[in-house]
Amino acid sequence: MAFWLHPKYYKTIQYYFMKDLGAPALFWINQKQKKRRTRRHSPYLGPPLQCARRLREIMTRHYYLARFAKSAKPVAWVTSGAPVELLHVFNFYTIYPENHGAICGSRRMGPELCNQAEREGYSQDLCSYARIDLGHLFSGKTPAGKLPKPDVLFCSNNICQTVLYWFKELSYYWHIPLILFDTPYNFLGIHEKDIQYMCSQFQEMIPELERISGHGFSLSRFQEIIGIARETSLTWGRVLETMKHSPAPMTIFEAFVHIAPIVSLRGLPVCLDYYRILLKELEERVEKGIAAIKNERRRLMWDNIAIWFKLRDWAELFAERGYNFVAATYTNAWAETIHHLNERHPFESMAKAYSLVILNNNLNHRLKLMEKIIQEYKIDGLVIHSDRSCKPYSIGQYGLKRLLTERLGIKSVLIESDMTDFRVYSEDQARINLEAFFEALEN
Amino acid sequence: MTRKEYLIKQKDEKGRKLFGIFPAQYPREILWAMNVVPVEIWDPPLKVSHANAHVQPYICSVVKLGLELILQGKCDDLDGFLFPHTCDSIQNLASIVYNYLGLEKPCYFFYHPKAPYRDSSRLYYLEQLKVLVSRMEKQLGPLDLSVLKQCIERGQQVASVLRDLYGLRARGELKASNSEFYQVIRQGEYFHPDDFLPLLEEFLAASKGQADSGPSVILSGILPNPMGILTFLDNLGIRVAYDDFMIGSRRLLIPPSDLPDPFEQLTESYFRMPPCTTRASPIAQRRDYLFNMIDDATGVKGVIFYMVKFCEPEWFDIPNLVDELKTREIPALVLEIELNQEFSGQVATRLEAFMEMIGI
Ligand code: SF4
Repeated sequence: MAFWLHPKYYKTIQYYFMKDLGAPALFWINQKQKKRRTRRHSPYLGPPLQCARRLREIMTRHYYLARFAKSAKPVAWVTSGAPVELLHVFNFYTIYPENHGAICGSRRMGPELCNQAEREGYSQDLCSYARIDLGHLFSGKTPAGKLPKPDVLFCSNNICQTVLYWFKELSYYWHIPLILFDTPYNFLGIHEKDIQYMCSQFQEMIPELERISGHGFSLSRFQEIIGIARETSLTWGRVLETMKHSPAPMTIFEAFVHIAPIVSLRGLPVCLDYYRILLKELEERVEKGIAAIKNERRRLMWDNIAIWFKLRDWAELFAERGYNFVAATYTNAWAETIHHLNERHPFESMAKAYSLVILNNNLNHRLKLMEKIIQEYKIDGLVIHSDRSCKPYSIGQYGLKRLLTERLGIKSVLIESDMTDFRVYSEDQARINLEAFFEALEN
Repeated sequence: MTRKEYLIKQKDEKGRKLFGIFPAQYPREILWAMNVVPVEIWDPPLKVSHANAHVQPYICSVVKLGLELILQGKCDDLDGFLFPHTCDSIQNLASIVYNYLGLEKPCYFFYHPKAPYRDSSRLYYLEQLKVLVSRMEKQLGPLDLSVLKQCIERGQQVASVLRDLYGLRARGELKASNSEFYQVIRQGEYFHPDDFLPLLEEFLAASKGQADSGPSVILSGILPNPMGILTFLDNLGIRVAYDDFMIGSRRLLIPPSDLPDPFEQLTESYFRMPPCTTRASPIAQRRDYLFNMIDDATGVKGVIFYMVKFCEPEWFDIPNLVDELKTREIPALVLEIELNQEFSGQVATRLEAFMEMIGI
C-alpha cells in the first residue's frame, strides 16, 4: 500500500530540516567565504564586537528560513511597532518589511527598489520603506533571497499612519486580511477608555488569528512570551546603558545594527539569549577598558532613524575626530516601554507598552526624554536626522533643536536626508553642516 | 461680508465662541450645541514664511498654511483649537501648537478610530465623543442634550439639501457653474448652520434647472485649490458631475440616523459616511464609491485627481484607483498641486491634453 504524505507535511519537514541543518550549514559556508574577503578596519575604531558574528548568523538564518516558511507555518508581515508577542502564540513566521527596508538601505538598493514603485505610480514623496517594499512586490528583488508571501498583515499605527496606508495596499494586491491594532495618540495621556479599546481589539483579533493560523490561543503560552519579551527589552536597555560609561564600549552605529533581533524576533528565546551574550561582552569591555573608538573626546546623540547608506562612512568620519555616538532616540525606543509588559495583566500591559512608544507620544514627551538622555549619557552634541520619509519622527524637530539649545546649551546640527533613498541626500550640504557642527563642538 | 466680518459678528452679536478646526473629521454638531462656531482651517490665503522655521519643506501646504495662520497672529479672535487625528502631519502639528508655541488657548484633540473597523471601533468612537464633551464642558459649561439633538437635526437638514444639490448636479439639473458651486458649499466651513441652511436653500432654488448639456468629469482629492481648475473647466463648458473631495462629498453627505440617543446617532452617521483616506477606508470601498458616482452621474468622461503635494494618505491610494478606473475604461488624470499657488501653465497644458484625450 502506498503511503502519501500531505504536501503541507513535506513543507513542514523541509522547514525544520532547513532550520536545524540547512541554515547552520549555509552560515558555515558564508563565514568561510567572508574570511577570505575580510574588510579593512578603520584605525580610529576599537576592535569589532565578537557578537557581530552571532548576530549575522541569527539574522541570516531568519531570512534564509523565511523561504521555507510558506505552507510550513502561517506567515505574517508585521510593522515594527506591532505587538508581535500575540502572533508568536499562534506560531506565525514573522517578516518585518521595515527591517527589510533597512537592509536594502544599507546595501544601497533603496533608489533601485523605490524606482520600481514609482514606475507603478507611487509618489516619490512617500516613505521610502514603503516604496522599497512595494518595489519588491512588483519586481521580486531583495537582498534577502526571497520573502514569503504573507497569510496576514499585522499592523499597528503606533509608529505612524503610513504603515496603515502601506499595508492597505498590500492587502489589496494580495487579497489577504489586514489586522490593525489601532492605538490612540497620546496627546494628553493614555486613559482607561483608551486601554479598554485596545484590549477589546486584542479580544477581537484572537479568533481571526486562530482561523488564519489554524492554532488555538493559549494564555499560558502568551504569558510566557510576554515574559521573554519584557526580559529582552530590559536586557537591550542594559546593553544601551553600557554606553553611559566613558569611553563607551559600543557606538550607536553598532547599536543600529544590533537592534535587528529585538525588532524582528522579540518574544523568542533566541533574541533574549543574544542580548545576554552581547551585554556580557560589553560589560567585559567596560571592565577591560576596551573602547568602541580609539580616542573618545566628545559624546554625541542621534535623533531619528539611521541613514542606513551612510552608516559605515559616518562611523569612521566621527571616530576619526574622536566623536562617539553613545545614545539615540531610535535605539532607545525598544527599551523605553516594552518593559511595561506584565504576565499578570498581559493584555492591559501590552496596550500600555505599545501605545506609549515614542512616535505615538506628543513632542513634549520627546523633549523631556531627550533632555534626560543628554544628561544621563553626558552628551556634548546632537545630530538630528530630518528624515524626509518619516513625518511623525521629523515634524517638530526644528522646535526640539531650538528648545534643547535654549535649555541645555547643547550644540546640534540638523541633516536633511532619507534613511534609504540617497537620491534626496546631498553629501556636499551634509559636509558643510557637519563641518560647522564640528567646529562648534571644539569651541 | 468677509469671513472675518462674519465671524466677529458671530462673537459680538450672537455671543458664540469661535474654534479653529484643523482638517478633517470632527463632530461639528457637538460644537454647535456648545455654542461654538467651528472655523475650519484648510487653505487660508497666505504666503508661507514663519511656518518654515517650524516644519520641513517636505510637509504639505495644508499644515504649513494652518501653522502660518497661527504664527501670523491671525487666530487671535479664536477661543480654542480642535485637532482631529487626521494623519501624521496634523498629529504632530497639534503637538507643535500645544507643546511648543505657548499659545494661551485651549487645544482639543479628537482621536477617531481607523479602519478596518470592528465593534470596538464603534464603542470607542462613541466614548471619544463623550470625552471631548467632558473636556470642553470645563471651558464652555454643560452640554444640554436637547440642544445637541436639535443641532443634529439641523446638521441633517444641511446634509439633506447638500445631497439634493449633489444629486441635481450629477444629473445635469443644476445651472450653477463649478466655481459658484464650491464657493457656496465651502461657506459651510465657517458658517453657523442657522445661516448656512437658508444660504444653501436659496442657492438650490436659484440654480435648479438644466445645465449646459456638455460632458462632465469627477474631481477627487482634498480640495479645489487653486480655484483655477474650476474656472478652467467652466471656460471649457465641462461640468463637475460629482466630487470625492475631502471638503466635499466625503464629509458633507452625512447619512441620517434616527436612533434615540444623540451620541449613538452621531456614531451611526459617522460609520456610514463615504469612504475617506483619513479614516483608512479600504481601497475597494473608495473604488466602489467612485464607480457609483460614475454610474449615477450623466456624461462622465473622466476622473481628475487633484492632489496636494506630500499628502500621504491620498497618494497611497492613487495607483490602484487609476488602475481600477482603467478596467472600466475611464481615463484618469493625476495633478499635483501646492495650495494657493498660481494655476500654472503646466497644469493647464496637462488638463488640455487630458480633455483632448477624452474627446472634449
Ligand atoms: S513613516 Fe516613519 S515610522 Fe512609518 S514606516 Fe516610514 S520610516 Fe517607519
